[in-house]
Amino acid sequence: MTLEERRDAEPDVYQPAEDSQLLAEAACERLAGNETVLEVGTGSGYVAARIADGTDARVVASDLNPHAVRQARTEGVETVRADLVSPFRDGTFDAVAFNPPYLPTDPENEWDDWMEHALSGGEDGRAVIDPFLERVGRVLAPDGVVYLLVSSLTGVDGVVEEAGDHGFSAVAVADESFPFETLTVLELH
Amino acid sequence: MKESLLEILCCPLDKHDLELENADYDDEEVVGGNLVCTECGEAYPIEDGIPNLLPPDMREETPA
Repeated sequence: MTLEERRDAEPDVYQPAEDSQLLAEAACERLAGNETVLEVGTGSGYVAARIADGTDARVVASDLNPHAVRQARTEGVETVRADLVSPFRDGTFDAVAFNPPYLPTDPENEWDDWMEHALSGGEDGRAVIDPFLERVGRVLAPDGVVYLLVSSLTGVDGVVEEAGDHGFSAVAVADESFPFETLTVLELH
Repeated sequence: MKESLLEILCCPLDKHDLELENADYDDEEVVGGNLVCTECGEAYPIEDGIPNLLPPDMREETPA
């Protein structure tokens, strides 16, 4: 199936793109392999499945979207329908990966379907990133890390600053430039 | 879901432990039933093998 055919077949689920690939590669390279890993907002399940295949980590994936968790489950990943990290116990995960909805969107242009939830980060692009940064610390094990995909369209410096407000220090561990944006994977400690 | 998933899950509202009730199994896989909070009693359905742990006010199928 081509990428276009796949997008048409699953119009309610974000299908893997360049950002998914960058996040999956960065996480696979940096994980030792015996970790317990959560992917938040898994969409198609691509990143979670890549981590499960490429490492010995135990991988769990969550998404708000019922279509997404069903598709991710067919990738062989254990899935949970959840709001960010809310149903996971304190101190559980050695690593949490997240490719968030990050596109800044004019409120008048919001189109209100599952694909919008997968793409739109509200007016400043951070409507989902900021609550994630506020809550993710609770579920991280001691020395746990976060792999967060950020776009230049959202603004990497602002996200680094927000992460700092929640006690994280950020290091860029991968980036890739495209005509309209640069994608960066931040590792947060 | 596998039963071992319960070790890392909690109630999304009050973070207390969950108990599996009325479970349907397909081999090792739990494909139906409820996860019930041992503290507040809220029940979270397991739908097609996937636990729906959204808070009750977010559970609808439609977005927004």
